[in-house]
Amino acid sequence: MKKLWRCNVCNDIHYGVKAPTICPTCGAKMAFTLIDYPESMKVIFDDGERLDEVDKLLEVWNKFAEGKPFKVNPDEVFVRTLAKGELENQKNHGLKYCPCRITTGDRFEDLALICPCNFFIQPVYKESGECWCGLFVKRD
Amino acid sequence: MSEAGDRLIFFWGRECPHCAKLHPVVTEVSEELAKENGRGIEEKEVWHSEENAKLMRSYGQALKKACGGSLGVPALYNERTKKALCGMRTTKEQILEWARE
Repeated sequence: MKKLWRCNVCNDIHYGVKAPTICPTCGAKMAFTLIDYPESMKVIFDDGERLDEVDKLLEVWNKFAEGKPFKVNPDEVFVRTLAKGELENQKNHGLKYCPCRITTGDRFEDLALICPCNFFIQPVYKESGECWCGLFVKRD
Repeated sequence: MSEAGDRLIFFWGRECPHCAKLHPVVTEVSEELAKENGRGIEEKEVWHSEENAKLMRSYGQALKKACGGSLGVPALYNERTKKALCGMRTTKEQILEWARE
């Protein structure tokens, strides 16, 4: 089961089964300690960057695809429609769910629908070279 | 319009670009079917209507199978045969065959 961990040197928060051996932010070794949800919220605060605009999402997606065997679909109109859909889903349903999927109501199952999803395991990606919604396509 | 239990249903999302592309094809097929036997295709938008989303989830087993494991749009469900079609590569011919079964 995943738990919350905090680096006692730089206050990095990690959510995972195990604490990282080396903190990815400050490089401290064996510095993570188990914490609870209220503590994690106090550490993070609520002043982080909001990814609430189409252009910001496009930037994030392009960064995500850098150096990978896939890229963002070059059809910008298409991609912007998807981005608007995700922002709409975030506003109405709390998370950036893929607009080409639909939630089941089971919060754990629905985590798999947050974009970018783990599309490498999808049969459609293996067969067609695109993720389900077509946001990411295999590089030539 | 067909009665519940005998409907042909097109589930779509307003912000889904594939749904937008398939929509005119579904409309065309629906008009053909309506002329043929009065049984057109009902359209249900699922991201902005919880009622429609619930209906779609109630057909989850067939739809998930057709959509590659998770519920997806665009998708079509035939209440009579309990068969589903899903995805951007759905063709007019497939829809006609699915509807006429």
